[in-house]
Amino acid sequence: MKKFLEPLSKNNPIIVQTLGVCSALAVTAQLKPAVVMAAAVTVVCAFSNLIISLIRNTIPPRIRIVVQLVVVSFFVILVDQFLQAYLYETSKMLSVFVGLIITNCIIMGRLEAFALSHKPLPSFLDGLFNGLGYGLVLVAVGVVREVLGQGTLWGYPVLSDKFYTLGYMNNGLMVLPPMALILVGSLIWIKNARQS
Amino acid sequence: MKFSNRYIFLYISVLVIIVAGTLAIVSLVLRPRQEANRKGETAARILKAAGYGALSTEQAVALFDSVASPITDSQTERYAIVCSDGDTGQVVYVSGKGLWGPIWGYVVLASDNNTIKGVAFSHKSETPGLGAKITEESFADSFSGKKIYNADGEYVSVVLAAKGNSEANAENSVDAISGATITSKGVEKMLYEGLKDAGK
Repeated sequence: MKKFLEPLSKNNPIIVQTLGVCSALAVTAQLKPAVVMAAAVTVVCAFSNLIISLIRNTIPPRIRIVVQLVVVSFFVILVDQFLQAYLYETSKMLSVFVGLIITNCIIMGRLEAFALSHKPLPSFLDGLFNGLGYGLVLVAVGVVREVLGQGTLWGYPVLSDKFYTLGYMNNGLMVLPPMALILVGSLIWIKNARQS
Repeated sequence: MKFSNRYIFLYISVLVIIVAGTLAIVSLVLRPRQEANRKGETAARILKAAGYGALSTEQAVALFDSVASPITDSQTERYAIVCSDGDTGQVVYVSGKGLWGPIWGYVVLASDNNTIKGVAFSHKSETPGLGAKITEESFADSFSGKKIYNADGEYVSVVLAAKGNSEANAENSVDAISGATITSKGVEKMLYEGLKDAGK
């Protein structure tokens, strides 16, 4: 069990393996899209790990990447369709980044490194916790960027008007992708400093 | 384990057929809901521009059908609409180009075919926080009450001027979005082209 929990901190996909950074920069300007994106990646990662693990002995090694892509694409399209039907507003904010989950290195990485050589249940858990590890960073970055960039959290104002009358201003840079990169970089820095 | 070519072809074919079949079914099942979402969103935004305030998608679709009717003899998408103040105006669909992709929107004109009651812009892929601000309320609100003809009766549409310069010609201009020059120019051009025939 301890091994499965590693992606949450010790072996976090974003801040230790630096995978999946692109989407982490793109969707974290606000908390809500970040949470939905994290959930989407977790679902896709867990279930494609499960399916690939179930059929792992029947997959011809020469076309295993093709098979993996077909399975991952299946889940991504499924998630995208559901978001468009039930979370329309958020799916518009995420725009192309839901489709781009297909190319998220975390998912392909877990399929290659874990699901192809392990039983279904451990594979499912491995996918689940890697997705959650990714989500954890997204949520952390999303909270900081939304509060400092727009003064809101989940769309609700959290900073009282008093701050603004005292001359406080929202940090416009927080809304832009470069600031996400700096924040993720800072997380990596803190992580490395603590581990060495 | 060694796999024959025949096995590989069969394997991938069967897999793809299963996946494609399942996705087709899911898409068919979810499509009505997705289309209702899109339709409801457009209706809600047009109604907001016409002064009806914020509505849920279901309310919006019902209300839109009762207050708006398509103008059929027009080349572009247009509706006659009874605004919240009782005035019968028209909704004009406009479309153009932003920085990264298409932008489009609906402009609600009052019955004098000159005053803008409200606008609702959308975009495909403008930069979040910059060009994407054209969809925000504060930007849309700045268009209310603007005129597309100047004091001499000439068609000028609405100009997006740099901040501070818009007061000089307050009737026909709004503040552009700083940091999003190309999107702002795109909006300006879209309005100019799109409203040209609407005012007559």
